[in-house]
Amino acid sequence: MSNDEPKGPPRRDFLGIAVGGSAAVFAVAAAYPVARFIEPGTRPRPGPAVVGKLIEFPPGTVRSVMVDDRPALVVRAQDGSFRAFSAICTHLQCVVGYSPERNQIECPCHRGVYSMDGLNIGGPPPRPLEELQVTVNEGTIIVSAVG
Amino acid sequence: MNAEQPRKPGWLSDRLGWGGIAASLERHRAPRRGFVFYLGGITLFLLLLQVLSGVLLVLYYKPDAANAHASLERIVGEIPYGDLVRGVHAWSSEFFIAFLLAHLFTVVLRRSYRSPQELSWLSGLVALFIGVGLAFTGTILPWSQKAYAQARVGSEIAHNVPFLGNWLYRLLRGGTEVTSNTLSNAYGFHVAVLPATLTLIVGFHLFFLSRKPAAISEPADDDDDAEASKASSATEADTIPLYPDFLLRQAVVWVGVLVAVMTLAIFADRPLGAPADPRLSSTGAMPPWYFLPFHQIVRSSPRELLGIDGPKFIVGATCLLGLLVVVLPFLDRKGSKLVAWAGWLVLFVLILLATSALS
Ligand code: FES
Repeated sequence: MSNDEPKGPPRRDFLGIAVGGSAAVFAVAAAYPVARFIEPGTRPRPGPAVVGKLIEFPPGTVRSVMVDDRPALVVRAQDGSFRAFSAICTHLQCVVGYSPERNQIECPCHRGVYSMDGLNIGGPPPRPLEELQVTVNEGTIIVSAVG
Repeated sequence: MNAEQPRKPGWLSDRLGWGGIAASLERHRAPRRGFVFYLGGITLFLLLLQVLSGVLLVLYYKPDAANAHASLERIVGEIPYGDLVRGVHAWSSEFFIAFLLAHLFTVVLRRSYRSPQELSWLSGLVALFIGVGLAFTGTILPWSQKAYAQARVGSEIAHNVPFLGNWLYRLLRGGTEVTSNTLSNAYGFHVAVLPATLTLIVGFHLFFLSRKPAAISEPADDDDDAEASKASSATEADTIPLYPDFLLRQAVVWVGVLVAVMTLAIFADRPLGAPADPRLSSTGAMPPWYFLPFHQIVRSSPRELLGIDGPKFIVGATCLLGLLVVVLPFLDRKGSKLVAWAGWLVLFVLILLATSALS
């Protein structure tokens, strides 16, 4: 790349570099906005979302609901207390479901298993399910991200 | 239509300059025997079938979460020959991937990737990559329970790709969640971006092939002495002209493939499955057969490998292996026999993994 050696037809070299260089610059200049255009921004954390009425959740119910566009599980224990978990498996994001026979939360995709506390107790999931916050407000159940 | 129809035969060929094209095609020679030489052509034919049936499906398909499944149900249930068109599209896509893989595999076994065929190899790999992209986006479009699950897992696997992961993930999902945006993105890629790119790449692939006349006319010669003498003894008798002989035989094979695809499209049921309900757990999320080996690895790997998250490790390793495959012609300039053996070994392992995934 040194310029002090006179070799070849320098003018053609220069032209080649100039044309190639400008083409590269144009390509990058076009690619960047395109890449940004097709990549949407990050979304805010889910919720709060109304997921139902208190009477729809008798003690001992587990229900699949949507919090914004994310699936979640609302668990009402026998003592009447509420807990909610994101229903997105921490392995590869399949939707988990409640298995009444085994009283646990299961992911069918790669046989992941979670306890009713959302703890990952079997299969590939690396982390517990994300816990969501449940508030009961005048008979409506509201679920939102914690914190 | 023309009043002064050809006394001079070939009004059209005159205008196309067909004589010149035919002459240049005749100069190329193709092997007389060996089914492997038909694999690439079959793949091309299947691509054509998919484009034709795909264009028809576009007429009725509605790419949004609320209507996609219903529109497919309408295609299959109400539109005359709708189930046939969908069947041809779906089955030819399976065949397409199968023949693409077979083509790739025989190229490895015969070590036909080596110099000066590097560009054919690279363009072929890009075609494979796009083909898998088409298959993936295609499984999302019915917006069934299964489609939804695969969109989730597929995008999350892409999330684990080194460096590009985050961008890919959001691109595939059209956001951070799998929503109707995911479906419309998949649609855009499936019907516009990917087919257009693939057409271009296939064009290059054929062009590179035509640049090297001997490319498909030489049986796998070798640098070993014994094989070399055998190769040099390959005479005219072992080859046939590309045109018309080879292309005619290719056409006959295509008819066979068409019959197979049609038979499956007519007689083998491909249920659409229930429409996607994001609240339901992802049952029946078995991936298509060509992802089974990967599925099995993902399913049975420990949570952590060498201190790295299981999926991250597996996807990273797969990318590294993929890179190795890409640079194969540059690593193995002479076409070492070792590569062919490695090829057989890989095939064996893949089949083993796929069968254990099914059990
Ligand atoms: S996605 Fe749940 S176990 Fe793999």
